[in-house]
Amino acid sequence: MRRRTHGGGLTAAWLLGMVLALTGCSQQSEDTIVVGLSADITTFEPGMISSRDNDNIAQHIFSSLFSLSPDGDHLPDLAHTMEISDDGTAYVYTLREGLTCHDGEALTAEDAAYTFNRIGDPENRFTGNIPGFVYTSIGFQGAVALDDLRVQVNLARKNPIAFGLLTEVHIHCKDSYEEMTLDEAASNPIGSGPYRLASWTRGSEVVLEKVRDPGSFQRIVWRIIPEASTRTAELIAGNVDIITNVVPEQMDAINASGRAEVQVVSGTRRMYLGFNLSDASRQMPGGDAIQDPRVRRALQYAVDVPTICRQLLSTECDRATGLVNPPNDHPGLTPYPYDPPTAERLLDEAGWPRGEDGTRFAIRFQAGRGRYVNDVNVVLAITQYLEDVGLDVELDLLEWASVYTPLLRERSMGPLFFLGTGGGLWSPIYDMTDLADVDSGTNYTHWDDERWFSRWADLAEAGTPEETRAIVDEMLQVFYDDGPWLHMYFQPDFYGVSNRIEWTARRDERVHLFEARLR
Amino acid sequence: MGSYVLRRLLQSVVVIVGVTLVTFLALQAGGDPTYLFVSERASLEEIEAARRALGFDRPLHEQYLSYVGDLTRGDFGQSLSYRQPAMEIVLEALPATIELAIFSMFIAIVVAIPLGILSAINRGTAWDGSITTFAMFGQSIPNFWMGIMMILFFGLYLRWFPISGHVPFLTPLLAGDVGVAFANLPRTLYHLILPGIAVGTYSLARNTRLIRSSLLEVLEQDYVRTARSKGLSERRVLIHHAMRNAWLPVVTIIGLEFGFLLGGVVVVETVFSYPGIGRLLFAAINQRDIPLVQAGVTLLAGVFILLNLLVDLVYVRLDPRMKLSEGRA
Repeated sequence: MRRRTHGGGLTAAWLLGMVLALTGCSQQSEDTIVVGLSADITTFEPGMISSRDNDNIAQHIFSSLFSLSPDGDHLPDLAHTMEISDDGTAYVYTLREGLTCHDGEALTAEDAAYTFNRIGDPENRFTGNIPGFVYTSIGFQGAVALDDLRVQVNLARKNPIAFGLLTEVHIHCKDSYEEMTLDEAASNPIGSGPYRLASWTRGSEVVLEKVRDPGSFQRIVWRIIPEASTRTAELIAGNVDIITNVVPEQMDAINASGRAEVQVVSGTRRMYLGFNLSDASRQMPGGDAIQDPRVRRALQYAVDVPTICRQLLSTECDRATGLVNPPNDHPGLTPYPYDPPTAERLLDEAGWPRGEDGTRFAIRFQAGRGRYVNDVNVVLAITQYLEDVGLDVELDLLEWASVYTPLLRERSMGPLFFLGTGGGLWSPIYDMTDLADVDSGTNYTHWDDERWFSRWADLAEAGTPEETRAIVDEMLQVFYDDGPWLHMYFQPDFYGVSNRIEWTARRDERVHLFEARLR
Repeated sequence: MGSYVLRRLLQSVVVIVGVTLVTFLALQAGGDPTYLFVSERASLEEIEAARRALGFDRPLHEQYLSYVGDLTRGDFGQSLSYRQPAMEIVLEALPATIELAIFSMFIAIVVAIPLGILSAINRGTAWDGSITTFAMFGQSIPNFWMGIMMILFFGLYLRWFPISGHVPFLTPLLAGDVGVAFANLPRTLYHLILPGIAVGTYSLARNTRLIRSSLLEVLEQDYVRTARSKGLSERRVLIHHAMRNAWLPVVTIIGLEFGFLLGGVVVVETVFSYPGIGRLLFAAINQRDIPLVQAGVTLLAGVFILLNLLVDLVYVRLDPRMKLSEGRA
């Protein structure tokens, strides 16, 4: 009997000792930075990467020929110069000397050309962002090595935003990738960037080790923590240095912890209400009314965007004036104010007075749920604002992946829909390419105003930046006056940052840790 | 015995085919998943090209038959998002979930047995009332909520346990790295405590109530009274006579429990960022990664069927009155 009691005591002591010893293990190492991401990483194959989280890690493993600064400026990276041919269809990059990949192989122009061509090779059946968007947007024709240091990228046509889009291509060496199968390459990246992959535990964490500058930390650990409250708890506990996608409701808890604070930046994702002007939409409630630009303009005054930002997104924001991110937006435009009497007057003038039941017309409003920050509450608030000026809103809150996305991609949403689309800071034209063509897959509104679409040819021929800017501003004025968007806001991004480190969040959703350092 | 096992295994094949069909149809009912694998700026032509590349341009029956055909060759297809063999990815995540399920089961059994017995032999007392109340709470509290509360209290406030993560034990063990596995073991257990309790509490509560009621029933039987009247000690009566029969329903539930735990850890794995099969399936369903979901569900169904068979065999062992060819078996 005594012996049993003694054994129990030993067990308890061992357990307590283990807990105390292991509790001490959670202290952060000074040469390591830990980032908590909300989404899982699926691949390190440059041709397959399609999510921002995945790309954020890849950008530490692979370098590009040129990169983008936080303000959208082009910075030399693996290449130090770039020249464009007179007809705008050939981009010649000159690489820096002495470059190597992580396995020690020398990185030459032949490797860069191989990287470009491998991603575009239809036999590889890559479906990531580069082959699926970048290459098709710029009309990629192929890449050739002119000599050891010069690589030429050929395009089908002149494109004013090709240079920026080409910064997305992650460069690697040829020999190592020729030796690997596609499966092997997806999980064993041999990159050209400042960090190499040390380990990847699927669904759990990715560990990178520094191989060259820039970078203050020897190790970067990317932990996958899908649950927002768990990410917040890990940050406050000091186990993680940066977390992405902080839920606005948890901002106060983080800021009050004394161990971390939330950085809120106005992101580049443009949130808007789209007016679907298609013939199919005309058959739905409200589809007819919104064909009239006066109705669309009236509704701009009906929604109090700053209040939505303050109350539902926990941050102040300026209402957008168009589809271009500041500071590239039209400098002469002011956001539509919240002015319900003006909205009501304009609706009266457009021939939609309130009826006996107090409503002007019914309208179907569709939105996906769970995709954007606090989206359901934002949509409910918008519904209320529209009903306040006399609309009878039929709100459809739809499951994002299986219901809303197919509607979106088939461009067959209801007359009014809520959406956010990614943008950039490096060119106003990049943001405008959502509406590059009437039949473009991203012209979800079927807007076909000649005053906008006829100017793309002028933009392509513009000879100077000043000419380009003037055309852009004219187009943005048309979009502001009679466009197919009810302008909302640029989605704020919320990052939790430990007091242990110094790091500034970027607006473009990129988490670059090269400049992060200990305080 | 051999022919019985063989017959059950053949029946299992039918069940597995049924599982694959239901899973396939359920996932297809959500519409074309191609949209989730292309850039948000992709044109209709690019979407169509991706659809062809992913194989979703073929008629549904053709897709399913092709999938089943591959299945007979042991090929579960490639994960759409990882671009790796789907079963390989599932098997990679399985050890973590098995660790969690075993740990949870350990809690659910080792704690439930004394609590159930204590409650039964002290029927109507404060002990019984407290344990029954605890069991009711355990069955009523959602495991994800309990997980979050434990994270906040034990992980963040007291800082006794890690908030999230996993240290592998079975993976290095199966890979032959015995030294690494056992070196990891203390940290493995340390990381399992909170998610293990969150997952296991419901089962613990149910097992406690089950053992209590089963034992109470047996304690009323004539043969127990006879044993007592023979002058056997209460301890001997309880352990050698009453518990043996009280075990039968408990074994059935506990055997199936493991299968339920394997499938039931989805939310808890997500809350604790635990890289197991539950979280993998959760993400795969969100991403509409059909081959990965099918591989995961098929594997879980297989494990469940196998456990069911084992339970039946153990049942016969415990109760010789049962015959394999009749009754519940």
